[in-house]
Amino acid sequence: MSEILEIYNYWIYIVLMMVGFYGVIAKRNLIKQAIALGLFQTAIFLFYISMAVVDGGTAPIWVAEGVTKIPDPLAFPPAYDNPLPHVLMLTAIVVGVSILAVALAIIINIRRAYGTIEYDEIAKIEREMEVREAQEAAQ
Amino acid sequence: MSEVLLIDSVLLLLVAVTAIAVVEVRNLYAAAMLSGIYSLLMALVWVNMHSMDVAFTEAAVGGGISTILLIGTLVHTEREEARRPSRINWGALFVTAVTGAALVYGTLDMPRFGDPNAPIHKLRVPEMINQTVGMTSGASSKQPPPPGYQPRKNLELPLGHGQVFAMRRAQKANEARLDQQAAGHGGHGGVAATEHGETHEAGHDAAHAHPSDDFNGHVPNSVTSLLAAYRGYDTMFETAVIFSAGASLILLLRRRRRPGEKLPDQESANMADQVILRVMCKLFIPFILIFGLYVISHGEIGPGGGFQGGVILATAFILYALIFGRPELHRVVPERLTDVLAAVGVLLYSGVGVATMLLGGKFLDYAVLKPESPGEGGPLGMTLVEWGVGITVCTVMITIFNQLAEEESK
Repeated sequence: MSEILEIYNYWIYIVLMMVGFYGVIAKRNLIKQAIALGLFQTAIFLFYISMAVVDGGTAPIWVAEGVTKIPDPLAFPPAYDNPLPHVLMLTAIVVGVSILAVALAIIINIRRAYGTIEYDEIAKIEREMEVREAQEAAQ
Repeated sequence: MSEVLLIDSVLLLLVAVTAIAVVEVRNLYAAAMLSGIYSLLMALVWVNMHSMDVAFTEAAVGGGISTILLIGTLVHTEREEARRPSRINWGALFVTAVTGAALVYGTLDMPRFGDPNAPIHKLRVPEMINQTVGMTSGASSKQPPPPGYQPRKNLELPLGHGQVFAMRRAQKANEARLDQQAAGHGGHGGVAATEHGETHEAGHDAAHAHPSDDFNGHVPNSVTSLLAAYRGYDTMFETAVIFSAGASLILLLRRRRRPGEKLPDQESANMADQVILRVMCKLFIPFILIFGLYVISHGEIGPGGGFQGGVILATAFILYALIFGRPELHRVVPERLTDVLAAVGVLLYSGVGVATMLLGGKFLDYAVLKPESPGEGGPLGMTLVEWGVGITVCTVMITIFNQLAEEESK
């Protein structure tokens, strides 16, 4: 039981990532795919943040007001969680929402052009257009 | 089993269930709301893992902004996924199952959760910690510490109390002397010498040996100091990425307005007629704004910074637009202003870098901003940089919202 709990976080992150992955490859709706991509992304964030945790560690803020003794950041075992993954994920979240926004903008434009956001229907329309163009070229 | 782990397990289980619901629910509005709930749960998990800055950002971005963006998009598209004969795509399920099994096999070799011996913690090399804590050793740019400088000793220094530090160091010096004397003479003489020597050493050290910049304790939040100093270039370009996202939204969706043409009144404008919404919104907005400004400007002291504060500020404006309508938001924050400010933020960030170069340092070497006490240059530079990030993030989020909510051109 305890062995499972020790890597439980990693399993949950795999579950989330695979749910997102399934959404991206199985769903035909473009908005659903954008949301699923977000799930995939968050799973990776979870993975990084889980790796940063240390037993008995606390938030990596070197000193709080009223604390006279600062735990040594270089001590072992570390008194603080590792701040580096936090920094990486912090910026990644905001970049992630920018990606989502650009994706949604493109989806809105696709909807204006094709009248649908289901990509198999878009593919069908495109095929029909190609056939029509080929016929026109042949004539 | 610790309570933290227990809370964690339950929360993570909820997160996983929500994720499956997000992907499987057919109504897209429901999927958008569920993804907001998913983000809030995730933010809780991260608070539990002591990652305050990330939790902040996720709550504001995932729970607030991306949900609004999704709903804003759904207004222009469809409410539901198309119906399909079979709901489960077996091929995709097989691929994900195989990939998942491979990853699970990989985790068996992972260090256990919270293991202090994990490689990631071993790589916390002292140089990195020293650099982020901002040891500038009195020089105008980052240099190796003087011989005999022991970071361990120096890091015990409380904020800005050079004298306490000096006394501690003197005490240690005396302990060493005491040992020497104990080896040479009797114990009694040694104690007297210690008491005498301590006062003398403390006064001397406080005056000369320990300039306040020797240890830069002014940036206690290591996340911010890593963000703005250790990974300063990365953060600058990430800000540029956000700026370019805003720019591409404008290019993709903004339509040219004839001069004098006004935004059409939208349905959301009617929400202002509801007293509860109107009053609560007006009550909340000042607090959200103050909190956002606080989070940006106190990023180097506590949890917070430009990214977090920027999104919090943006939510205040978006809330205003949701209740009173976008024409009203345009009256308060014109499109032209947000466009310009998004660029100003990036310019402020890179401008600080250029300024440090002109002052004779390296790009983004904050120590040169205050040559007389380089230790204080760090917090100053980081605050400026965080403001740059905050301005860009806030205005780009407002721009993105504006563009996604823009009426379809007929």
